[in-house]
Amino acid sequence: MNARQRPDFLKLVAAKADLPDGGALTDEARQAFPDADAARWLHAVRKLSQAGYGQSVVASYTKHSVTIARQVGPGPAIELADLVSTLAVKSGRNAAELLPAAALQAAVRLKEDHRLRSWLDLIERFATLAPESVTPLLERADRLLSTLNLARFKAWILAGVRSGGGDAKRRLRFFTFEDPDAERWLQREAGEVIFADIERRLKAYLIALWRIRAPIREPAPGGSPQSCRRTSFGRGLIRLPSTFSGYRGEQAAEIFRASLAHVAAHFMYSGPKFPVRSLKPVQVSLISLMEDARVEHLAMRDLPGLRRLWLPFHIAQPSGAFVAPNLFARLARALIDPTFDDPDGWVQKGRRLFFSREAEWENPEICREIGGLLGNDLGQMRVQFNARTYVVEPPYRDDNLGLWDFEDQAPEDREEMELLFESIRIEQQDEDDESPPDREREEQEQREDEEVNRASVSTQVYEEEGIPVARYSEYDYLTGRERSEWTTIVEYQPKPGPVNQIDSILDEQHDLVERITALVRSARVSRPQRVRRQAEGENLDIDACIQAVISRRLGETPDPRVYATFQRRHRDLSVLVLLDISESTKDRARGTVSSVLDMERQATALLAHAMAGLGDPFAIAGFCSNRRDDVRYYRIKDFGSPYDAMARSYLAGIEGGLSTRIGAAIRHAGADLKRQLTHRRLLLIVTDGEPSDIDVTDRKYLVEDARKAVNTLAGEGIDTFCVGLDSGGDSYLTRIFGRRNVAQIDRLERLPERLPMLYLRLTA
Amino acid sequence: MDLDDYRISQEPYYRMVGNEADLFEAAYADRMPMMLKGPTGCGKTRFVEYMAWKLGRPLITVACHEDMTASDLVGRFLLDATGTVWHDGPLTLAVRHGAICYLDEIVEARQDTTVVIHALTDERRILPLEKKNEVIQAHEDFQLVISYNPGYQSVLKDLKESTKQRFGAISFDYPPRDVEGEIVAHESGVEAPIASHLVKIGERSRNLKGHGLDEGASTRMLIHAGQLVGRGIALGEACQVALVLPITDDPDMRDALTSAIAACA
Repeated sequence: MNARQRPDFLKLVAAKADLPDGGALTDEARQAFPDADAARWLHAVRKLSQAGYGQSVVASYTKHSVTIARQVGPGPAIELADLVSTLAVKSGRNAAELLPAAALQAAVRLKEDHRLRSWLDLIERFATLAPESVTPLLERADRLLSTLNLARFKAWILAGVRSGGGDAKRRLRFFTFEDPDAERWLQREAGEVIFADIERRLKAYLIALWRIRAPIREPAPGGSPQSCRRTSFGRGLIRLPSTFSGYRGEQAAEIFRASLAHVAAHFMYSGPKFPVRSLKPVQVSLISLMEDARVEHLAMRDLPGLRRLWLPFHIAQPSGAFVAPNLFARLARALIDPTFDDPDGWVQKGRRLFFSREAEWENPEICREIGGLLGNDLGQMRVQFNARTYVVEPPYRDDNLGLWDFEDQAPEDREEMELLFESIRIEQQDEDDESPPDREREEQEQREDEEVNRASVSTQVYEEEGIPVARYSEYDYLTGRERSEWTTIVEYQPKPGPVNQIDSILDEQHDLVERITALVRSARVSRPQRVRRQAEGENLDIDACIQAVISRRLGETPDPRVYATFQRRHRDLSVLVLLDISESTKDRARGTVSSVLDMERQATALLAHAMAGLGDPFAIAGFCSNRRDDVRYYRIKDFGSPYDAMARSYLAGIEGGLSTRIGAAIRHAGADLKRQLTHRRLLLIVTDGEPSDIDVTDRKYLVEDARKAVNTLAGEGIDTFCVGLDSGGDSYLTRIFGRRNVAQIDRLERLPERLPMLYLRLTA
Repeated sequence: MDLDDYRISQEPYYRMVGNEADLFEAAYADRMPMMLKGPTGCGKTRFVEYMAWKLGRPLITVACHEDMTASDLVGRFLLDATGTVWHDGPLTLAVRHGAICYLDEIVEARQDTTVVIHALTDERRILPLEKKNEVIQAHEDFQLVISYNPGYQSVLKDLKESTKQRFGAISFDYPPRDVEGEIVAHESGVEAPIASHLVKIGERSRNLKGHGLDEGASTRMLIHAGQLVGRGIALGEACQVALVLPITDDPDMRDALTSAIAACA
């Protein structure tokens, strides 16, 4: 609307008559739109009502534009009408009806007319970019503006539009906050510190303080919105809110730290869970509060600096309403802050009781006593406690769910108790699923899983039958000759297993993975090496010079290669890891609960992690045999293919069975390795027993054949190395591979650690 | 030639943690080659100095490095105006004149370098100088001591089995809390409470070993921090300078360490 369209006075009067539902210039409107603006406004209203968007749209505009005009002036209030009709066309009546109210909220927050205009422009642009999402956006506009300024609001909107791509449904998911990215972006734009950003340093902090290595997760998805507000712990798992709203920058990092330090103090000093039994919710809360104070004091005995960490979050004042949450917060502060002076008798009593038992702080039972007493007092003082709305203060403290044992509760009691935690409750069952908070990754993995499953479906037949791919000769030591085409290699499609299994192996062996990664890093960097006695080079090789002079004095012809130079040597090798998966690998490893195969799997997972890190081309295969015409060979990972979810799932899915005709497998693996063009080629075999097969009775036969196979490979420049898992295997393994090419693992549980190390040493 | 320059005239400060001096003395009585194992900065070198002083023997220390060759240890011919002249290396010097030769961080040296000590460390006790066509029978006072840090590198760089098995070994670690406090207090001159404080900080950093740090803060680092405190630097800042910044470049680890240090005081 602008000056050109300004109607004359007569029209204005006529318009007044036309207005529906008495939307005539009320006194209020007259005040908001002085003089000529009144005419423009009336015109705008009339235009809207004539456009047929419906009564509610017009009513919403007439009602809110007046207030907007009073807030920021008539200009934007009148211009709003244009946008209302634009939205009505593009996004529907609903959006058009919502807009005036949202604009009013924006006006209240933005305060100045030019800023409101920018806001309106932004909405108009948004309506062009994502018309379907205008309604959800307007519904949340106020909340968004409460955390974001205009520029960041714009940035967030654009992020949403971009993340949706051209897909209206995805955009809608974003702007309705169904897409977790929306929240994440919002927090990012709001400048809040998100847990994920500082996760690593927080974990290191806990380890440094108390060597606590508990998994830390974000709240379980699907919890109540309030479950995001407090930390929770239980069963060795810590759940942190992804953000503590209201804390920014350094303070936000501090509250995460404070919260973790508090939970860690529970881990260190809280005893077994308190049974809830017949305690009232108010007592439960008070005992928890006492326990919080107790563990913090114990922690501060050891690490006095923690007081500085926790104290700033205790902001309760000795005043305010005489209600439980306020009193609780004051008591919490009184128990940690020696300078805090509270006139309230109850708070003083709590403090007195607590500190009079200082000598007994090691004993959690005192919390039950003191908490119980204080709870009774509170009852006599007729202070109401509403378990439903109670939230632990200060915010760094956890919800104390982890302190209590509900097990032996009668169901109805339990229900009552759960009431206490309802607002901040987290289903404990959720803790079992260790779902990574990073949805994106999860989904990706899911997709990969699906791919794997699809692949397995399409190759169902292949999987069951296997394809004979090659025939190899076998060596008969008795005749001293090879029987040509004696064994048949049948390649089977490996069965996919759960990919997560491999990831969780890496997770569990965290320490080892870190060590391997460090080693890999140092092994990968090609180091400069001094090469001496060169015909040309950067500097003189003093030793060679001296040698040359000496030779000359002796009357010999001196060696002219007196230079030294630095060269970088690169890794140039490929490796095939051949796993024995015969029946015997199903046996349990001595002294452990896992089978030999599990150990092989773990070791291979770690090794593959190392090899992938080094960038060495590598392949993994498993073998077992069922007579000479069915030597089964499973390609878990090939040289050309990436070490991806598919390969990992095959590794997870390998199963033991049948016998160990190792010679044929060695030949087949060797044939694969032969095609590699690297300088060094290594066949790494992990086996747990003597070669055998059901159609062979002579024990020596397969040993000699394997020996022959290894020798043949050596002749072709392929190194073979064997890791033996059978403590009695010394004799035949050294016979097959040679003394220097066998490593015996005496304690099987060390295989996962030893295999990658061995590999690094072999290839260093 | 006497090795006066290599003699230690004043008693070096060494705080005994166990019976390591007795063990070492007994080993020296038989001139048994010794290996001192332990993390960096826990007092291995100081211990050798102390023992050399106590036994009244000169001490020749060689810091081993990747590029070290056998002739760096044994000696080499040099050129001069008239021709070549032989120059004894540190090991030869010790063997000839009867010193304790201390090869620091022996794993750093290449394996072919370390085998020159083989003939010295069994009952032969000889050092063949093949270039010079000479065999030196070790002086009766000579003893070989090596230090060996079984850290991360040890997988890629390890001593040969045949080298390892020639040595007796004494294991070192960071001393117990109160002993370490005493050492820090003595060496840096800070008051006992501050020293015990620094030790507490050191322990926290050692908790992070293998979880982001390759090695925790050594006693030496704690002493450095203490020295800075003694010069009037605030504790937090001294720890930053002497401990956090040198030990890691990882900002997350620095943050964790800094917060842990803050929690200690």
